[in-house]
Amino acid sequence: MAVSSDTSQKYDLGFARWVYQNVKGGDKLSMCMQCGACSGSCPIGTEMDHGPRKLIMMVRAGMKEAVFQSNTLWNCTSCYRCTVRCPRGIPVTHVVQGLAAKAVALGYASEVDTARFAHSFWWSVTHFGRTDERLVTAKYYFSFGFIAGIKKSLDNLKIALGMVMKGRMHVGLPHKVSDNKGLRAILEKATEIEMRDKQGGAES
Amino acid sequence: MSDSNMNKSGKKKFVYYPGCSSQGSSKHLDSSLRAIVPALGLEMEEINDWNCCGASVGNIGGGPLPTTALSGRNLAKAEQQQATDVITGCAACYLNTHGANERIKADITLRGKVNESLSAADMSYEANLQVRHACEVIVNEVGIDKIKARVTKPLEGLKVAGYVGCQTVRPFANTESGGKYDTFDDPKFLDQFAEACGAEAVDFDLKTSCCGGSVAVISPEKTLHLIRDILQAAQDSGADVISTPCPLCQTNVEMYQPAINKKFGTNFNIPVVFYSQLMAKAFGLDAKKDAGLHRNTIRSEKLNILVRE
Repeated sequence: MAVSSDTSQKYDLGFARWVYQNVKGGDKLSMCMQCGACSGSCPIGTEMDHGPRKLIMMVRAGMKEAVFQSNTLWNCTSCYRCTVRCPRGIPVTHVVQGLAAKAVALGYASEVDTARFAHSFWWSVTHFGRTDERLVTAKYYFSFGFIAGIKKSLDNLKIALGMVMKGRMHVGLPHKVSDNKGLRAILEKATEIEMRDKQGGAES
Repeated sequence: MSDSNMNKSGKKKFVYYPGCSSQGSSKHLDSSLRAIVPALGLEMEEINDWNCCGASVGNIGGGPLPTTALSGRNLAKAEQQQATDVITGCAACYLNTHGANERIKADITLRGKVNESLSAADMSYEANLQVRHACEVIVNEVGIDKIKARVTKPLEGLKVAGYVGCQTVRPFANTESGGKYDTFDDPKFLDQFAEACGAEAVDFDLKTSCCGGSVAVISPEKTLHLIRDILQAAQDSGADVISTPCPLCQTNVEMYQPAINKKFGTNFNIPVVFYSQLMAKAFGLDAKKDAGLHRNTIRSEKLNILVRE
């Protein structure tokens, strides 16, 4: 595991402060008493290298690289069980999701499945204003390469056909918002504000 | 909370946010909600030209402020329609839109940034709306007794496992802004809906266990065991059908049954329906056009009887 008992290791102590200021809910992390209610409540903790409790401790220990490389970020299902059970009121789900978003923004995770899926998803949102479930899934599968895309599509062919048969997979041109231009302008402006704040050091 | 939330005529005006799944995987949630909400005495009109809520990965794909701006645009549209309340039946749409709305209300700096973004399309949001889950509206505005009174074709003999899932109740159901309509871990409303429709709600321990959500779509191999456990508990409880309010739960728990049977050597074939489909049926509405029961991929004898009747 990435957690080392080597006490001579130098931690980046500015990292915790950065997380407190830049990750939604991060300012609450100093409240954590390491009780483990979050990790104990997690439906998918068995898939995680660290789990939320340890991840929070790693943030506070300044272990930036290990935090951003942790698969805990990508296995959160957003079930919010940790959040509602945390006795110290820490929005654990938001913190994990916020760290995941930062990991992608900082270039730690371009090959990660969730990052690929998020990229396909946002493509649909910016192009159509809506999620086209069919195109998002196809774009995600083929982000692994042509051969892998074919294989993933075939693996899920039965599900896809079942959906088509029941009229639950849209088969025409994508549904779009009619004022797509306006929506794009809003998203571009929001991105611009986020960049501006980042340069000024404010949280977004 | 909602009493102060009236428009000029002193009445609530509900607008409906269907969300993207209403045009694809969850058409049957959409058609059944559009049928049962008026049947329960509430008028609602659709948000004009609504857009995606940002789902579970918007923050990662586009960043936090653009994702909040997506909700900002929908809310601004609803406000233009003189709405007081936005209703949605989708767990993810509710989570994102309600969450964004509450943050925009509480944080004046964020509200400024959202409005600066919206100004690019000559729009603004005054933050006067309540965003509400359809289940909360049915519990708090309609009430269980009114559901019972509306039933013309009770679902006698149908055993229902009420699978609430996660985001319908977490993290808002038991908060003031979420209408305090039930608990996070052991909600009762879904069982009450089934019983009001004349069905039998079975004891079902995994009612708020996670199906894997979007991880089940992205990396199904990580989450098939979660769905298996949910199906096993439903089967052990003697349920004929699983009822759920959540689009992603419905699709995940229904569609992955063949993959689960293959991986774990099980033999599950349990229909997974929306509570609103059961209500539409019990209210005597059209089994196809309204209840959308022909859109469920797994059919059992009990479900087929419902479809045919």
